[in-house]
Formats: sequence, C-alpha cells, structure tokens
Amino acid sequence: MDQGHTMSLTRISILSLLTLFGGALIAYFTPSNSVLGMLAQAVIYAIFALGVGVLLRQNGLVSFGHALYFGAAGYGMGVILSLNLMPAELAIPVVLVAIGVLAFLIGLVIVRVPGIAFGMLTLAIGQMAYLLATRARGITGGADGMNINWPQTLFGVPQAVLLKPAMLFMIAWVLMVVVTFILLCILKTRFGSITEAIRDNEERARFIGITTTVPRAAVYAMSAVVTGVAGLLSSLNTGFVSPENLHWSVSAITLLMVVVGGFKRPVGPIVGAVIYFLFKDLLGEYATHSMAIFGAALIAVIVFAPDGVTGAVERLFTGRRGHGRTVRVGGH
Amino acid sequence: MLTINLFNGLVYGALLIVMSSGLALIYGLRRVVNFAHGALYMLGAYIGYSVALHSNFWVALVAAPAAMALVGVLLDRYGLRLLQDREPLNVMLVTFGLLLILEDLVVFIWGKANYSMFTPDLLNFTVNLWGSEVPAYRIGVIGIGAAVAIGLTLWLRFSRIGLFVRAASTDPVTTSMQGVNTDAVSAGVVGLGSALAGLAGVVAAPFLSLTPHMSSDVLIDSFVVVVIGGLGSLAGAFVAALLLGMMQALGAVYLPEVSVLLPFIFMVAILIWKPSGLAGSRT
Repeated sequence: MDQGHTMSLTRISILSLLTLFGGALIAYFTPSNSVLGMLAQAVIYAIFALGVGVLLRQNGLVSFGHALYFGAAGYGMGVILSLNLMPAELAIPVVLVAIGVLAFLIGLVIVRVPGIAFGMLTLAIGQMAYLLATRARGITGGADGMNINWPQTLFGVPQAVLLKPAMLFMIAWVLMVVVTFILLCILKTRFGSITEAIRDNEERARFIGITTTVPRAAVYAMSAVVTGVAGLLSSLNTGFVSPENLHWSVSAITLLMVVVGGFKRPVGPIVGAVIYFLFKDLLGEYATHSMAIFGAALIAVIVFAPDGVTGAVERLFTGRRGHGRTVRVGGH
Repeated sequence: MLTINLFNGLVYGALLIVMSSGLALIYGLRRVVNFAHGALYMLGAYIGYSVALHSNFWVALVAAPAAMALVGVLLDRYGLRLLQDREPLNVMLVTFGLLLILEDLVVFIWGKANYSMFTPDLLNFTVNLWGSEVPAYRIGVIGIGAAVAIGLTLWLRFSRIGLFVRAASTDPVTTSMQGVNTDAVSAGVVGLGSALAGLAGVVAAPFLSLTPHMSSDVLIDSFVVVVIGGLGSLAGAFVAALLLGMMQALGAVYLPEVSVLLPFIFMVAILIWKPSGLAGSRT
C-alpha cells in the first residue's frame, strides 16, 4: 500500500528532519537571491499541490477549483489586516480555521455527488468565487486586487528579515515538511484507513457501518487548509492578492503538478511543483503560450505515465508496474 | 419589465440547452465529462465570426458546427476510444489538457481582443411582445434551443440510430454483441455533441461578445446544468437549463450584487435535496 502506511513514525520523523536539514543546505549554498526567490515560490506551490494531492490520494476526487482556498487565504488576511480586526499573529490561525470550516460545509454538499460531477462542481464553485472577487467593490478592490498590510514585525521578526529570499524560502520549506509530516501522521490513524476504505468502495464502506459523507468532507477541508497555508505564504511573499489568485488556471497548474509528480506517493506533488518551476524557467520566452504547452504535457503524462514521475522512477527501481492499485472516481 | 426579463432568461436557457445537451450526450455514451466542451463552444464562435466576415451568418451557422463535428469525431477516434479502458479520472484530465490547448489556440489565432458579430439582416428587427420590443434574433435563439431539445428527444426515441445510442449508453458491451458498431455510434455522438457546442457558439456570438473568457463562463453554467439535471440525462438538463437561465436573467436585474452566486445557491439547494440531480444520475 502507500508509503505513509508502511513507513514507521520514526522513519517518517528521521526523513523529515533530514529534509529540514537539506533545506538549510539549499538556502545556504544557493548564492543568487533570484534563484532562492524562485525556489521559495516553487515550495509555496508545492504546499498548494500537497493539498490538491491529498484530496486525490485520499478521496479519489479531483479538484479543479482549489485556487478558491489559495486566494481566500490572501483575501481573508488582507481584509482582517486592513480593517484592523485583530493582530496578524492571531489572524493567521483564524483564517486557516475559517477556510477549514468553509471547505467542510461546501464539502458536505459536493462530496455526495459522483466523482466526475464533483470535479465539475469544484470548477464551477471556484470560478464563481473568481467572478465574485472581480466584480466586488470596496475593500477587496475588485479586479485590481488589494494590498495586504502585513505588520512591521510578525511573531517578533521584522518584516525586512522575513522577506529576505533565504528566510522566506526556509519558512516555506519548514512549513512544507511540517505539513507533509502532519498529513502522514493523520493518515496513519484510523481516519486514514476509513477514508481509504470509502475511496476504494463507498457502498461497501457504508455496508460495514461507516458514515461516508463526513470523512470525505473532512479530507476535503483538510486539503483546503493545506492550500490555505500556501495562500498565506504567497500573500506574505507578494504582499498582494487579486482575483488572478482565484482563477481556474491556478487550479489547473497545481493539478498539473500533482499529476506530473504522481499523486500516489505523498511527495509526488512536491516533485511535480519543482519540475513545473524548472520547466517554466527553461521555457522562458515561450511562456505566453505556456497553457497550451502545459495542456500537452498533462495529456502526455496521463497517457504514457499515469503514475507520474514518482511512479515512473519507482517502476524503474522495482521493475514492477506501480502497486497494482488504481484510485477510482466515485467509488462504485 | 418582468416579461422582458423572463424572455431574456428563456434566451439564455435556450443557449444552455444547446450547450448542455452536447455534454450530456457525450457523457451518456462515453462516461466522460468533456472539459473541452467550452473550448469547442468558443472555437465555434470564433470560426463562425471569421466565416461570417467573409460570407454571411447563415453560412457560419452551418460551417462552425460542421467544423466542430469533425473535431469531435477526431477526438473520439484518436482520444476517447483509445482511452476507454482508462479510469474516468484520467480521461477527464485529458479533456482538461485539451481545453488548455484549444483556449491558447484561439488566443494565438484571433488574439486577445474582443469581437462582436453582427446580427444577421434577416433577423435584425424587433418584435412587440407583451408590450416590450424584443429583438427578433433572440426569438430565433429560443427557436433553436427548442428545435434542439425536441429534435434530440424525437431522434433518440424514434429513430433506429437513436435506439442504438440509448442501448450503447445503457450497456455498450451487450449492445456491440447484438451487432451494433458502438465505435461508430460513439464517434457519431461525440461529433454531434461537439457540433452542438459549435452551434451554441455561433448562436451566442451576435448577442454575447467574443472574448478569450467566453468559454469558461458558459462552461461553468453548463456544468451546473448537467450536474443539477442528473449526469447524462437530457430531460433533466433541459429543465435545469431553463431554470438556471431564468435565474441568471432575473438575478442580474433584481439582485445584481449576488447574481454570480445564484447558480451556486441554486446548485447547493438542489443537491442537498437530491444528490444525484433532478433526473437521477446514471453512474
């Protein structure tokens, strides 16, 4: 089965610590600030992709609208800070909890529809949020977006220090490791097994007495909160949020990362995010038609390597095709 | 005032009928949600626009759906048929990739500027309907929506190919064992569904402007329609399309601040009541 199940907690912890250390090495040995800035962005998107990936891996559901939670984190932060409702240190957990609650409520409605319809609805809901933000007036600034008034010091650290590329990269990197660690721990519990049972066969799970809607909505909420963490980081990085953060193309790019990296491995989305940013950098001036190139890449990966890069690498080493298990949509 | 709003709702509902019946047909047969459907709609509108510039609207009304039908047949032959044993999720992502490619293609060929298409001369007059002047063209749109709805229903119910389509939608394996060429039926249905997307595009071009965003707006409404109606159900989609069209038109006038949220509220209400949609989904 999944790596997260076969690996013991000690092994996960050791790997996490090693990864943290690896991040410090990257930050120390990367001389150029612009490269570090790009890496920080890649790590932020890796967290975003982790959120989309956990939904796919644990629920067998594809979200085409997770940009909603990415943008909502920025907007939530922006509104709270510009109205001076509470200090930023408190606003961060409040925004994440609010995203979790919102996603849970939306999830309760939309996880009940068959998997394919779920994908359509996430796209519809995400795009409605985009339209709403574009047409909104007043505090959110409509289509122009809004600046986020981060305070001069956050958790006692001056903003100037926080926004140094090396620092920002390290914050994002640590959060990425922590999020992965927490997700792996949660999925090792009974909750993880229950959601997998529901994913593999919802009807059978119901027959053995599992309530199926709430755990599925909980996974959806969890994935939204992870995406919200990425949204907060991104809003710290840019100090700005606009409807573009909510646009479906953002969801599409993240989905591409998840698929390219391979969603069956917990680290697949992270690998996908790194590949995406390297690819984008290489693409350079052709970036105006990046969407078509990404679309073609998406099709190529799905047709020729449905398990993504991590799946292909694994096959190379183990010599067998995946793990003989496919995630089903709808679970029938 | 109310009548003119109801009338506009009917116009948008008719457009959604043409769009979503294509989606529902393809889903019924291939169990695939075609994310590229919105892109085919947009491509149909732009091709229609270019054809209309060189000849006239009526040629465009035939040429754009025909071009999209060809795209649809190719999509089925070299895409969906090869992927029919894959997980539905994979196929859905492939059509999503196609959406990204086609959207970029339209920007590449026609640029990012907005275009608007002229109303054909034959329908460029107004009719007095219950005391309001309404453009005759919009009555024509309602007519096309009604013709598509009635035509598809009769075709599926009474024609021999319609029987094959219904059979293949229910059980493709048994149907092919009975000697029906289900691959040909599928290609035809995906072609027809795509042609309907192209038709919706041309029909929409004179009253909605042509922009690179036009596909996502309509695609999202037709997704909501197809899900609310019950995946794969034509009758459900027709009812949901009319309801949503009315809601959009009335919402834009009476509740302009929240009008974009209305489809969402409508959808949530229906799905809490009936998770598988109005007609019950066939999954």
